[in-house]
Amino acid sequence: MKKIKRYLRLYRVFSSQFFKTIMQSKVDFLMGLLGFFLTQLSGIAFLYLVFEQIPDLKGWSLEQLMFIYGFAQIPRGIDHLFTDNIWMIAWRWVINGDFDKYMLRPMNIFFQVIAEKLQPDALGELLVGSILVILSVSKGIVIVDAWHILLFIVSIFAGALIYTSIKLFFASLAFWIKISGPFLQVAYEMADFAKYPTEIYNKAIRFLVTWVIPFAFVAYLPASFFLKETVSAGVILIECVIAVVFWCIAYAVFNKGTHSYESAGN
Amino acid sequence: MKKFVRTYLPFMANEFKRQLAYKGAFYLFIFISLFGSFISYYLWMAIYGSSKSGVIGGLNQQEMVVYIFMVYVTTSVVMVSVSNWVSDDVVKGTVAMNLIKPIDYRISLISMAMGRAVYQFLAPSIFIWIGVEVYKAVALGQPMVSVTTVIIYLCSCMMSFFIYTLFDFCFGMIAFFTTYIFGLRMAKEALLSFLTGQLIPISLFPAAVQRVFEYLPFSSMVYTPVMIYLEKYTGQELAFVLLRQAVWVVILYALGSLIWHKVTRRLVVLGG
Repeated sequence: MKKIKRYLRLYRVFSSQFFKTIMQSKVDFLMGLLGFFLTQLSGIAFLYLVFEQIPDLKGWSLEQLMFIYGFAQIPRGIDHLFTDNIWMIAWRWVINGDFDKYMLRPMNIFFQVIAEKLQPDALGELLVGSILVILSVSKGIVIVDAWHILLFIVSIFAGALIYTSIKLFFASLAFWIKISGPFLQVAYEMADFAKYPTEIYNKAIRFLVTWVIPFAFVAYLPASFFLKETVSAGVILIECVIAVVFWCIAYAVFNKGTHSYESAGN
Repeated sequence: MKKFVRTYLPFMANEFKRQLAYKGAFYLFIFISLFGSFISYYLWMAIYGSSKSGVIGGLNQQEMVVYIFMVYVTTSVVMVSVSNWVSDDVVKGTVAMNLIKPIDYRISLISMAMGRAVYQFLAPSIFIWIGVEVYKAVALGQPMVSVTTVIIYLCSCMMSFFIYTLFDFCFGMIAFFTTYIFGLRMAKEALLSFLTGQLIPISLFPAAVQRVFEYLPFSSMVYTPVMIYLEKYTGQELAFVLLRQAVWVVILYALGSLIWHKVTRRLVVLGG
């Protein structure tokens, strides 16, 4: 308990430092926000234009697809906001020895890595995601009752944890291969597949995004639970199991990696 | 002319060689960028499957497949970002060195971009291009693309390359005013993926929007060469779109010169 309190206090200290840097460069912050916002918006505009031509896509309406799209952005945004520093392990810190400083302080290493940075660009994703979800709810296509709201919250956090685990796993490979950025990038971009119903893909891709790099469980599958009465809550349960299992694996690999980390020297 | 080539050819050759040095990462990035094409491939297959008419935006299903992958081939040759180099140079201050040297900074950048374009054309674009043609011949039983079309397509791509790099040079000038160009770059890429026809054929936009696009340089970057490849333009129309590309090269060249002239006058570089 005392330990948790200490870490909470430390997180506050770290993040307050970070807010100062944001206040210092407001223009940068706004431009980053704009960049991610427009990127998400272009995906939505794409759907709009396509649905001018067709009544539905494999049984899904435009409104439903927008909800799936928006829902997919929220876990992505949460993960992006809090753990963006993981990218630095993959690209830079291990190869040039910057990781040293984390090894020296008497704190949990993973905690230090993520506490050091909040990524405000993520607000662009969270904004688009929230707007789309709220719009969908107001149109009445989403099932809203206490049970679904509870599972909604569970699902977005489990989804964010899946994102973090996949990132951490691939970034940790850097401890052995020095730069793992490209691998991480490949894995991360796989998430784009899950913004649309996975039924449209062939079997191999569907299997890959459902069970190997399970982004389907972050976006499309849980989203369909909130849209259709026929989908069972088991989807969310599997999502949580996957999140926990992937997290344990990723964290174990990360820990092992920090033990075999050798500094760059000078 | 000879002196010109001797001065700028090394920029192109060096960039080409540098790309060769980082093969591993490069192949992975090719792999990633193909993701997008495959996602759109499956999406469009589903869209045509759900559509009553077989023609969407003037393209049938087979043409759409060619469209998606030729967009990939075209963008990897045309869209070589020079603004990244500009912002690097400004942030590090090395731009000062480029001002002292008796070379034209913009031409040296475009030469580098050309080196990269050639490299990206050889790996992987040409293989994907061959793949498209094989797909057409084997799966669809259609004739291969004619030599004349290929020649016109390549000429159009060349002009697209200049339109994009000259435009991106102007965009890169923003680096002189702010150091965090990352966000703006994402915004640019998002907008361009739309305006150039990369994400969706421009013929799918509402008529009013299409008319606006006629007056912007972006559709000349990707959409025009790909539609030429699909043989959607003939006779006068073909001459018109090619001429329009040429006009944009001239306009953007002049605009770039103007901005560069204004910007370098207020440049301050600290240290040495």
